[in-house]
Amino acid sequence: MSNQEEPSLSGLPAATAPVIDRLKSRIGVDGPSVTATVEAGHLKRFAEAIGDRNPRWAREVPPTFLVALAPISVHVAEAEEYGKGWLNGGNRFEYVAPVTVGDHVTATGRIADVYEKPGSTGALLFIIFETDYVNQRGELVARLRGTMIRR
Amino acid sequence: MNVKVGDELPELVKHPTTRQLVQYAGAQGDFYEIHYDQEYAHSVALPGVILHGLLKAAFLGQLVTDWLGDRGTLKTFEVSYRGVDMPGHPYRCRGRVARVEGDDVELEVWGEDETGKRTTVGTATVQMRD
Repeated sequence: MSNQEEPSLSGLPAATAPVIDRLKSRIGVDGPSVTATVEAGHLKRFAEAIGDRNPRWAREVPPTFLVALAPISVHVAEAEEYGKGWLNGGNRFEYVAPVTVGDHVTATGRIADVYEKPGSTGALLFIIFETDYVNQRGELVARLRGTMIRR
Repeated sequence: MNVKVGDELPELVKHPTTRQLVQYAGAQGDFYEIHYDQEYAHSVALPGVILHGLLKAAFLGQLVTDWLGDRGTLKTFEVSYRGVDMPGHPYRCRGRVARVEGDDVELEVWGEDETGKRTTVGTATVQMRD
């Protein structure tokens, strides 16, 4: 575990503040943006991987493709101090404008919420992420909300 | 518009393999070991390697876009993962029309394992063209 002196809103040194407080202090704070180009080859490999042969995916992106475009910060390293594994709880996509081959899409993600819940085999940590996707013309094209669980 | 509440979407049955999980890991860029490393999966108390939730979402996305074709536009798509699924078992994607309001249609979609358990449940909203 790292021993860096990261500032923490709880006032405790980062390494000793409970991980849940450190994650909560980041709610609503944008992470670094990532820009990526929708490449025809990547789109083809993605469509093959999901086994969807619809020819429209030669140009347009299928409903879940944006998660593959830019790494979204779903695996926040420090959350791994909690529990022993990740589970994906769910995803919600909102589509605002089409995304096609050649688009440059900028993804900006943030933590939207963090909470603990009792589970059948112990407590679970829920981390809700939001990511906005904006194209090269500055238009919002999609939003993604994801629930990641540490167990 | 020829869509009514209760209409069923043509079902889509997928046959995921460990090979497909590796392919998907590469295409999405999600290299979490629970999707291809049996030993690692056991070490975190899973029965074996499991399907990516987002791969199951992609299957349900295909169910919706195959049904929709060019008759409309997908507006929202939401899925919750309720259980784990293993490669080597068929994954049955199903759905039905839950609500129709003018051009706006809400679909209930789900993915079932071999026992009929709904391990992924979701909702899609689409806007039909006139």
